[in-house]
Amino acid sequence: MLGEFEYALITAAAGLGDQAYGAAIREEIEATTGRKCSIGALYTTIDRLESKGLLKTWMGETTPQRGGRAKRMVRVTPKGVHAAKDFYDAVTRISRGASWAGSAS
Amino acid sequence: MTSLMEITAQLLEPNEREAVVGDLEEAGESTWRGLRGVLGLVIRRQAALWKSWQPWVAAFGLALPFSFMLMGFSLSVGWSYQRFIGMGAGFWPLISRLFLLVAWSWTGGFVVGSLSRRTLWMSIAATCSPCLFCLARFRESSLPSICLLLFLGPAIAGVLKGLQITQIKLFWAIILAIAITLAMIPMGRITWVLVWPAWYMAATAWKTERETA
Repeated sequence: MLGEFEYALITAAAGLGDQAYGAAIREEIEATTGRKCSIGALYTTIDRLESKGLLKTWMGETTPQRGGRAKRMVRVTPKGVHAAKDFYDAVTRISRGASWAGSAS
Repeated sequence: MTSLMEITAQLLEPNEREAVVGDLEEAGESTWRGLRGVLGLVIRRQAALWKSWQPWVAAFGLALPFSFMLMGFSLSVGWSYQRFIGMGAGFWPLISRLFLLVAWSWTGGFVVGSLSRRTLWMSIAATCSPCLFCLARFRESSLPSICLLLFLGPAIAGVLKGLQITQIKLFWAIILAIAITLAMIPMGRITWVLVWPAWYMAATAWKTERETA
């Protein structure tokens, strides 16, 4: 099963779609979780998920605001979607009956 | 400070360096946070490499003990050379010792290079520390202290070859291993542990040829 940070990364990458790359995923995770995301944690987790076949990465285009440097693009594989769904289902199931469940809205 | 971050990022693989430095620039990170981020990633990458056995064997099973043994053998080659120059005797023992010194150093360096491509800095440190230790305590008046380091030239050549992805041909690897083993027989008490990199090289060449066949 995925870890919490792995789930956050896959979910952020899936939400960003074709615009998923290191800096964008990091910004998304920081904005939604309210926690700092180190570049070290981000890239080692991307590598781990890629080696498990849950993500696919490739070097993308360069942009002037990056000093002409290429992006490492990320796409969630069908296996990654399945693993994220498993994690979400497990968290949903285990949260049933918890006093805080369903009170988020 | 930015250039310091870029220097630190040199420790990363080229593609990763490109992506990471670009991300930090795009995010407009402060130079200090950027440097901390890159350092953190470098440390994580190095820590991950040390989870496998190869860097440990290269640094502490090969580079460190072989440096001590090969320094001793370098001195013995120096003495053989002196005897040959002074008395005109012992040509073949000198040639045999010279061959063994070059072959042991080269094969040892090759295995260090191929086992620890990204942790070579530790193997270099493990080689340099005994060299500095022995150089500082060298008291032999009949030989110049540089004789201690005769093994370094072929060892560096072996490391450079080992760092390349290309494999040694099985035929040549076996010929070299057999030649080293045969040359060691007349040496008698010389430690046999020095031969294992040559046979390791032959075994990996055999494995590679079997996999590609």
